[in-house]
Amino acid sequence: MTAAPPTFLAVSWITPLAGAIVGTSVLAPLVALWFLKLRRRKRVIASTLLWTRSLADLRANTPFQRLRFNLLLLLQILAVAAIALAIAQPEAEGLGSAGGRHVLMIDNSASMSAIETVDGAGAALGEPTSRLALAKDAAKARVRELLGGGWFSLGASDVMVVSFGSRAEIKAPFTESIGALEAAIDAIGATDGSTAIGDAVALARAFTDTQNRNDARGERTEAESGDIPTIELYSDGRISDLGALALRDGESIIYHRVGTASDNAAVVAVSAERAPDQPDKVQVFASIANPGPAPRKVSLQLAVNGAVRAITPQPIEVPAAVERDGVFVPGRSQATFRPIEQPSDASIEVAIVEDDSLRADDAALAVVAPSKRLSVLLVGGDGFVMRTLVSGLPIERFETTAIAAFDAAVADGTLRPFDVVVFDGVQAKRLPPGRYLAFGPPPPLEGLSAFGSKSGVYARFAREEHPVFRMAALDELYVSKMTAVQPDRSFQVLAEAAEGPLVLAYDRAEMHAIYVTFDPLDSNWPFQRSFVNFTANAVEYLGNAGDLIATRGLVPGEAIAVRLPAGSRDVELRIPNGKSVALAPDAEGNISWGPVEVAGLYRIEYSAGSSTARQSRLVAVNVANADEARIDPLPELRLGNTSVQGISVSATRRGALWPWVLALGLLIVVLEWWYYQRQVRV
Amino acid sequence: MSSVRAPRRLDDLLDSTLMAKLDAIDVVSRKIFSGKVQGERRSRRRGQSIDFADFRPYVHGDDLRFVDWNIFGRLDRLFLKMFLEEEDLSLIIALDTSASMRGGDPDTFEYARKVAMALAYIGLVNQHRVSLVGFSGGRVERASNLRGRRKAADVASWLLKREPEGASGFEEAMRLVGTTRVGRGVMVVLSDFLFHEGYEKGLGMVAGRGFDVYAMQLLAPQVVDPSREGGVTGDLLLVDSETGAETEVTVTPELLRVYKERLDRLCGGIRHYCTRRDIVHLVVETSTPVETLMLEYLRKRGLLR
Repeated sequence: MTAAPPTFLAVSWITPLAGAIVGTSVLAPLVALWFLKLRRRKRVIASTLLWTRSLADLRANTPFQRLRFNLLLLLQILAVAAIALAIAQPEAEGLGSAGGRHVLMIDNSASMSAIETVDGAGAALGEPTSRLALAKDAAKARVRELLGGGWFSLGASDVMVVSFGSRAEIKAPFTESIGALEAAIDAIGATDGSTAIGDAVALARAFTDTQNRNDARGERTEAESGDIPTIELYSDGRISDLGALALRDGESIIYHRVGTASDNAAVVAVSAERAPDQPDKVQVFASIANPGPAPRKVSLQLAVNGAVRAITPQPIEVPAAVERDGVFVPGRSQATFRPIEQPSDASIEVAIVEDDSLRADDAALAVVAPSKRLSVLLVGGDGFVMRTLVSGLPIERFETTAIAAFDAAVADGTLRPFDVVVFDGVQAKRLPPGRYLAFGPPPPLEGLSAFGSKSGVYARFAREEHPVFRMAALDELYVSKMTAVQPDRSFQVLAEAAEGPLVLAYDRAEMHAIYVTFDPLDSNWPFQRSFVNFTANAVEYLGNAGDLIATRGLVPGEAIAVRLPAGSRDVELRIPNGKSVALAPDAEGNISWGPVEVAGLYRIEYSAGSSTARQSRLVAVNVANADEARIDPLPELRLGNTSVQGISVSATRRGALWPWVLALGLLIVVLEWWYYQRQVRV
Repeated sequence: MSSVRAPRRLDDLLDSTLMAKLDAIDVVSRKIFSGKVQGERRSRRRGQSIDFADFRPYVHGDDLRFVDWNIFGRLDRLFLKMFLEEEDLSLIIALDTSASMRGGDPDTFEYARKVAMALAYIGLVNQHRVSLVGFSGGRVERASNLRGRRKAADVASWLLKREPEGASGFEEAMRLVGTTRVGRGVMVVLSDFLFHEGYEKGLGMVAGRGFDVYAMQLLAPQVVDPSREGGVTGDLLLVDSETGAETEVTVTPELLRVYKERLDRLCGGIRHYCTRRDIVHLVVETSTPVETLMLEYLRKRGLLR
């Protein structure tokens, strides 16, 4: 691995070699001349007798005359140094151009939307500017620096532009066109996603390898080909997968550190739930994170459909972040609002009132479905226990059917819609998109394979924080016989025994299922209160989960995938910036769009059936990422055993500094002349 | 170099206040010298005065007027009465008028002129025979045998005409002074003693020849300590005012230290040389007021009383 280039100066030098040559070739003779003959004032004194003898004494003791401080010499050295620096053509912060390939990777994650009021050097900005804007300015200046040439400039470079956040994208392939590169940089927009660089590096490597293979076939000139690119990273360094990144042989990385701001607090979670006993009321919970080193107080406001409904009466104290065993843990506080009356669906927004540097994570959205009573279909409900239990739930409609009738209805498409379908010890042949609670035999879900049965098992672990286990502990559960299954990564194990999963959750697009791998009658569960609570929780969870995917919300980087009623038409997606996108649903009414890059409320509007009335569904996209909330830039990046020191990116627009340096040099020459004349006159 | 306002008249050299104070003091010689005419100075030579000194047997050729006839009557032998002869004191003031005397603040030469004027005035007032000798470049200019208060103006006039120029030629000048002196007396040499050719031979010419010699070394404050205001600092090309020789110096604390050591060695060497030859060596910084010098310092050193 090649270490990063030295970063001892935060100024770019277009022609450093020429400046160095001039500097050393003039400074050394200048100092030598001062050794040989200083320019001295002539002065008549009474007698030089004592001086000549003193000098003789002094020289007798010091065979070498050392260079003594002299203002004239100092001014001359400064003048020559300034002229030499001017010849080196400094422009702004950065590194010198040495030709070769460069990949400019520009971070456009959420933290890059932080507002900066001072530049990297600590100078105040004219007006607040986002980190991304600073990074883009710096990157464009770098492009001009690499490709713009200059007096005595070295060879030109090949530059590629990649943006990265939650996903990476090549904005411009390797090119020498300044215009194309600047346009590509300008086209990089802010996202609210997390920061991962792995894809960007892989993308750049793949593109480079491909190009090198093309080079080997002679499609490019020898001078342009075969270079391992230098990665120039424009970021605040808060990259989640940095630890997994390792540079290959010959690769080097330059870290342009962007921004200085660190003041931030974030709403990292929000949830809005209807109480089972009061479905018209919504209870809102929020979690606030403080990544700063000092505790802070924040006030929260709750808005429903854009109208503020409540503000926390007292500011909420959020403790400071701490390091525990080398792990950064942001301070967190929870906030609970009084239940609000909201029978219809709504978007719920919890926002921090106080300003901070990153506004994108100061608000989080949740969408609540309209209050409704569920419809439940029990398949194979021969068992008294399950039928009694489900029918006793507070549901609007309850039906039972045999498995054969269910399969037939699925096959001919005549299955009436139910919010939840419960399989009691039976196995369907095929499941259309929907919400299912299955006990015993494994449902026909992709990624689930059964391999026999186990007996005499105890629950060893349960995700008690999951809604299905609310008031439903499995501590005393004993299962005499269970189906041994092997789920893939699309399943979430909610409870398991030593012999395998006991409860699985499956959420994919419009398919949601809770699968219990044993028949309750093969266990002592029916005799425990947790069985009743679990079943009620599962039905409620499934019944409400699929209505609006946004009730759980998306994070930037994910795609919106919603199933609308079959036959929906004129589907439009209104995105938070006010624009709308027309979408075409498939035959089953599925639409997808994304990945979403900006947090906010996305509204899907459509017309269903013969009705011309517009219906809508809401999707909330939240930053809700404690890692992105930490916005103070990393001074250096750790890549394996290598650390890369960050170069501060100045917020001011880069410009040629050399005329100023040259003017300074000339000013010093004038000053030196004036001082000399003053001395001579005296 | 300081800008010097050249004195134009006697008052510039010796103001009336100091003049009045100087009326009360006199030059002291450590020896009693014989003078050309009877003066106010007691001499070892027996002569014609009212103070009896001794008897001696008459020899042929003695003036019979001094025979003590009373003794002849009692003893029948001729004895001659001998009287202490009161002689005048010869005060020679040798003023260095070489170019090196110009410089410093206060200017060394102007200071020397004032001291010379004050000493000469004391000599004149006390009816001594005052001679002024200016020397530079081996040449000697004189104003000899001045006596009486009325000659003070002549002394001032002579001093005001002197301008420092050329090398000192100290040895040659002292040789001329030593060989052409008239009578015996007190000799005061006013100089900076910064002679490239050395001071030893010059002082040797006037030492041990009956002169009561005072070597008064006048040094400007900037010579004593070049780091003072108006002194030598920085990178300079020093030009010797006498020889025109150029010396490049970069004044550093180290060089200043060595310089001061050199000056101490020079002064110490002169003092040692003078002591061995019964010459009084005085070092006077020209920042010392002339009045203080005359009324206090020189009295303490025995030149004046």
